[in-house]
Amino acid sequence: MAADVHLWAMDQYGESTAVQKKVLIIDDSPAQVKLMQSLLEKEGYWPVGLSDPKQVENTIAIERPNVILLDVVMPDRNGFQICRDLKGNAEFNMIPVILVTSKDTASDKYWGQQQGADGYVTKPFTREELLRAVRRFA
Amino acid sequence: MRHANVVILTDETEFARLLTACWQAERQAPNITVLNSDSWREQDAPTHDLVVVGPVRDGKITSVLRSLDPATAVILCVPADSQEFGQLRTKYPRLVHIPLREDWAQTLLLVAGESLRRAKALQTARQAERNAARNENHATLGRYMLDMKHSVNNALTSMLGNAELLPLEPGQLSSQSLAQIKTMHSMALRINEVMQRFSSLASEMQDAETASQGETADTAAPLSRRR
Repeated sequence: MAADVHLWAMDQYGESTAVQKKVLIIDDSPAQVKLMQSLLEKEGYWPVGLSDPKQVENTIAIERPNVILLDVVMPDRNGFQICRDLKGNAEFNMIPVILVTSKDTASDKYWGQQQGADGYVTKPFTREELLRAVRRFA
Repeated sequence: MRHANVVILTDETEFARLLTACWQAERQAPNITVLNSDSWREQDAPTHDLVVVGPVRDGKITSVLRSLDPATAVILCVPADSQEFGQLRTKYPRLVHIPLREDWAQTLLLVAGESLRRAKALQTARQAERNAARNENHATLGRYMLDMKHSVNNALTSMLGNAELLPLEPGQLSSQSLAQIKTMHSMALRINEVMQRFSSLASEMQDAETASQGETADTAAPLSRRR
């Protein structure tokens, strides 16, 4: 399988260190959150799950993640909107955002990039594809 | 007008000869079939866009007109008085009467030209309606497939991810269970391939819809320019 993984802006965030890195997973599906948490835990990351897209800023302010995995199709507030808001927020705009979504057309990826996303992983992804995207930033 | 079909229905050979000659002298002549009232039966007649009824034997006009589909464009070119034409017009709304006067042939060609353009415009409109109905069906199917694709991809993510996670638990599963998980993983990958093909199909359907809309626009454009 070849799920698309696009990474647009890794250099500004520098290399990862041996310290356990926190990854915020935002997805309205608890099953997806749990899956990504399990995959990341096995690799030594510290995953934090969030299924309510309205609580993103609050959660980031509390958790201070090193990287964010963000679903796109969500009720109330989609991932593109969230990404745009985060990149326009001086407090949060340095946190890398990787969109993890089943939207896989070229226009979706272009639009994601336009919102300031740093990476794009299409569902369904393999474990290695997800980890490769996260490792670039944390 | 080149592909339009016209039936000239008359019992006067000279009428048919003169009208055919006038038409053929035009830059664009329709396909012309000449029939007399004895051989006329509309269901047996060649496909036509217009029927020109010229002089026929006494008592034949009514039977000829009665045999025509009311939707058929008809030009009646006979020396009928206006009262008789008024009655016929009530019954056949698409009937146009041209009295057999000195300039009847030129008048008939002008009226026939407009009538054939109208027939062509109607044909184009019907084709556009059929295309629109077909495109609507395609669009519905495409939207459904896109909605389903999102749900299926999410489900596949869980299936593939968990199938990859389970074997990472050392000593938790028997070799048979591991083999079964591997099979599930392979099958999930196969479903993913099928979904990729559906995506291509949805894209092809969108291209076909765009092409069809373009064809309709191209067909309609010359008509609008003529007006």
